[in-house]
Formats: sequence, C-alpha cells, structure tokens
Amino acid sequence: MKMYSSLLPNELIKTRAFIYKNWTMAKRNVFTLFEILFWPVVGFFSVGLLTEFAGMQPQMKAFVLVGVVSMGTIQVCQLDVAYVLLYDVWSKAVKHGFIAPVGIRHLLLGSLVVGMARGAAVFFLLMGASYAFFQFDFRVPGIGHLALFLFGLFLCASTVGILVCILVLIFGNRADVAAWSLVSLMLLVCGIYYPVSILPEWVVPVAALIPLTYMLEYFRQFYGFQPIFSHPLAKGYMLLLLYLLLEISFMKVALKRAKKSGLLLRLSE
Amino acid sequence: MAYKFKRKGAHLNFAVEVKGLRKTFVSGWFRKRRVEALKGVNLTVPAGVFWGILGPNGAGKTTFLSILSNLLTPEEGEVRILGRDVRTDSMELRKRINLSSGHANFLWSLTVRENLEYYSMLYGLSKTDRQKKLEELFHLFDLSPFARVRFEELSTGTKQKLSLAKALLNDPELLLLDEPTVGLDPDVARRIRELVQKLHREKGTTILMTTHNMKEAEALCEEVAFIRGGMIKARGRPQDLKRDLRLGDTIVVTFRGTLPSSSLEGLDGIYGLQCSDSSCRILVDDHRERLSQILDRLTGAKVAIHDLRIQESDLEDVFIAFAQ
Repeated sequence: MKMYSSLLPNELIKTRAFIYKNWTMAKRNVFTLFEILFWPVVGFFSVGLLTEFAGMQPQMKAFVLVGVVSMGTIQVCQLDVAYVLLYDVWSKAVKHGFIAPVGIRHLLLGSLVVGMARGAAVFFLLMGASYAFFQFDFRVPGIGHLALFLFGLFLCASTVGILVCILVLIFGNRADVAAWSLVSLMLLVCGIYYPVSILPEWVVPVAALIPLTYMLEYFRQFYGFQPIFSHPLAKGYMLLLLYLLLEISFMKVALKRAKKSGLLLRLSE
Repeated sequence: MAYKFKRKGAHLNFAVEVKGLRKTFVSGWFRKRRVEALKGVNLTVPAGVFWGILGPNGAGKTTFLSILSNLLTPEEGEVRILGRDVRTDSMELRKRINLSSGHANFLWSLTVRENLEYYSMLYGLSKTDRQKKLEELFHLFDLSPFARVRFEELSTGTKQKLSLAKALLNDPELLLLDEPTVGLDPDVARRIRELVQKLHREKGTTILMTTHNMKEAEALCEEVAFIRGGMIKARGRPQDLKRDLRLGDTIVVTFRGTLPSSSLEGLDGIYGLQCSDSSCRILVDDHRERLSQILDRLTGAKVAIHDLRIQESDLEDVFIAFAQ
C-alpha cells in the first residue's frame, strides 16, 4: 500500500486529522454549541443593553462593542486550539496521538483552522447583532481593515490556546482551567471595556506586551479613538509573530520535558 | 550497521537493540522523589519474532515499552529500533512502529470508524488507502457492527479490538503490545490472542508483548525476557528457561506392590525423587523423554501401576522462580 506518497499531501492529511478531530468532537458536544452561541451572545447583549441603559454616545458604544465582540471571538477560537490537546487529555488518549508521526505544526495548524471557523462564526453573528440591535456597523473601516483585525484576533487567540497546551504539558490536566481563565485575565489589562490609558501607570507596560491591546487600538481608531501606541497594527502583528515562534519552541521543550518526566504517560492513565 | 528487516523471508537482523538503558522518574517540584525504573537494561530482539517481556508489577515492563514507542525518553543508554536511534530518528521510527495497550482509551465521543479515520490520518494515509485499510481492519477484528458506536459505549473487549486495529493502521514493522488481554473475559482474550498470532504468522511482524499472563506468554512467545527491579534477569525460549532453572516436569506414579529403593536410580534427567509405600513423585527434565525409561524400571520391579499423572512446569513456575 502506498502510504507515504509525497510530502505535501502527507502534511495536509496530518493537519486535516486535527481539523477532523476538533470538528467532529465539537459536533458531538452540545456544550460546544453553547460556547459559540450562548456565552458570547449573553455577554454581548448584557454589555450592549448596559450601553443603552447608560445612555452612551455612539462613539462610546462603538468602543465597548468592539471590545465585547473581540472578546467573544477570541474566547471561542482559543478554546479550539487548547482543545486539540485537552480532548486527548480528557479522553486519556494522549499517548496515541504522540506515538504517531505528527509534529506540533500539524496539531496547531489543524486546530487553528477549526478555531478560525468557529471564531468567524461568532464574530459575524455578533457583528450582525451589533448592527441590528445597537446600530453599530463593523464595516465602517472597510473590508481590508476588518480582515486584518479579525485575522489578528485569531492569532491572539492561538497564542492563548498554545499557552494552555504548554501549561497542560508542564502541569498536567490540572492546568485545563487556564483554557477559560487566561482570556479573562487579558480582559483586565488590554482595554476590552475601557482604554488602556485609564489603567494604573505600572499596568500600562503589561498591556503593551499583549498583542490584543494593539489590535483593539488599531480597529478603534477608525471610530475616532486616537491610539496611545504608534503603529498599533504593525506592533501587534510583530508581537504575535514573536510570541508564536517562542510558544512553538516552548511547546517543543514542554513536550520533551513531558516525555522525560513521564507526564505524557500519566496523561493517558 | 546496515539494517535489514526480516519480512516475508528477507534477511534476519535485530528489531530492537538496547544497551545499558536506564530510566529514573523524578517527581515533586520542591522535595524531589526519585524512582529508578530501569537500571541498565540490555536486550536484543531479532526481527520477525514474537517476544514476551514478563515480570511482576512495577518491574519496569511498561516503562521499557514506552521508551521503545517514543513516549518516554531514556536517561542513559543506547536504544535502536529497526536499526535507528530512538533519540535522533523518532519521527521516522514512529511511521514504522505502533502500540496497543490494555485498558485502551480513545476519543470518547467519536465512533469506532471516526477514531480509526482520525488515527489513520495521523499516519498520513490518503483517502483511498484509509478506506481500504479500515475495511480490512473492520473485517479482521469483526468491528463492522460497531462502526457507528461511540467509544464510550463499547464493551472492554471491543475497545481492545479497536486498540489493536489502531495499532495496525500503519502496517507496523514492530508492534508493541502492553498487556493486550488484561481485564478481558477469557473468550475475548482468546480471540485477541488468535488475532495477534495470525498477524505475526501471516505478516511476519515483530511483536514485543508485555504480559502478566504466563499461559499467554507460553502460547504466543517464541522467546521471553524476565524483568525485575528494572533489570533483565533472564531471557530465552520458555523450554530453555525451565531447563536452566531445573524446574522440569513432575511424574506422579501410584502403584501396588513394593518398589525397591534402587529401582529408579541411575536414570538420566532425574532432578529429584520422593517415594512412599504406594507412590513416587519423580521430577524429570522432560517427561516426554524420560517416561518410557521410568515405566520400564517400574514394570521391571514388578509393581502394578494404577495411576500415573504428569504435571508439566510452565512459565508460571519460571515467573515465580524469578520473582522470588
């Protein structure tokens, strides 16, 4: 049987394996439907209605809605990246994945594709709801800027998801709580509901280390908010690239460590 | 070393070569605890054989197999699988080996077919190859009725069949089986043994199996290695080990009449003799070779034999001898 035909199809098949896994697992679990619809929609309407109640100006409303929609999108997308390992951990099937001839690139790319699909679903759903219920139009900056912003959000999500995977490979399944808590920590410092400028002075450098801060600044400038950081898009993408490269290296180290310590086996027991 | 793998009559060489393998587990972040699991294991397994790794709980069997399957990194020593170093050629090796373990776990909400689809993609099988392979495995393991059943709903036996099917997705040259029949009903365990034996016979796959079940090891394995306390204590063919340990077989004869004490003296292959007024327990190296001589002597002594029983020693006796 001709099994390992040529390199490219082989790479694609292995990447597709993780798309297949995440997609099929997501289809099976009602809980994942909640992740797409329930929490982001509940969060969106809670905050949206609050803006109405507080009688916010359209510009302020734009600020808050960009934040809340970004947050929902990132949360859903990063979960898929984290799930690529967590599904195996929860099923105690980690060893079968790592005994196969696949690399971290297949795992991350495959899961990111599903994460992007689900994240895009959330984003466009909430984008439509923003327009319909709160008269806020995400299309104002134009399709190109919107695409750059959205892709930036997906990459932000992947950095969070990979970090969860690294933590699981270091601390074991106790670290799965990070999949839900890391994004909430980001919420505090990177200007989801309020501008970074109002943060205590010592927190601003922390915010400056998070790519999402720049992505939000970049997109909000089209709605009249002056960014406090210059060249937010370029800085955001550069940080993302740096973090992704670092995280992939750290994940390889974490995997080696898990093989050395026996954690990889314990995750299958 | 130029590696040539014995498959369908090809040249014979080693599937596994292990020299001075050590593995210590260190746990705890602050107060470190060290458990030495393997203490300098040396083992060579020829290609194309069915080999057993036997030993009591905590002996290091699973650790050993996990290092071979690239799930654990060795701390010290040389490990070559199919002629390649596990440290430097792990990606290449993972294409050519596979593992099935007892108490198998797979993605719980995927069906049998979906699980096999997923794992076959991990091995890079194209759509056509996947379909062909899955049909072959469904047929081999009688999995077709369970194709659409979720893993979490399967019986233990079917889960084990799935585990074996998964392990054959890439037609491995070296198949590692970690207690493949543990916890299974006897009939299911027997079926699994038959399947594994068939696979070995028909495809010439090298199989390395850990087991607690000595009958299973004796039935399947051409050679075995006993591991205890992280070290290989003995290796060889089961019959040679029994001979080396002088375990032999016991012949119990009950008779009527008087047997002179010298009647059985001077016979070859007798390890021990216990006689009373009406019976004798004779420990011989191999009852097949010694029985006729013993019967000749008894008949010559004019005793009337009215019962004769043979108790063959098995690997369980060898296991107990090594475990003590």
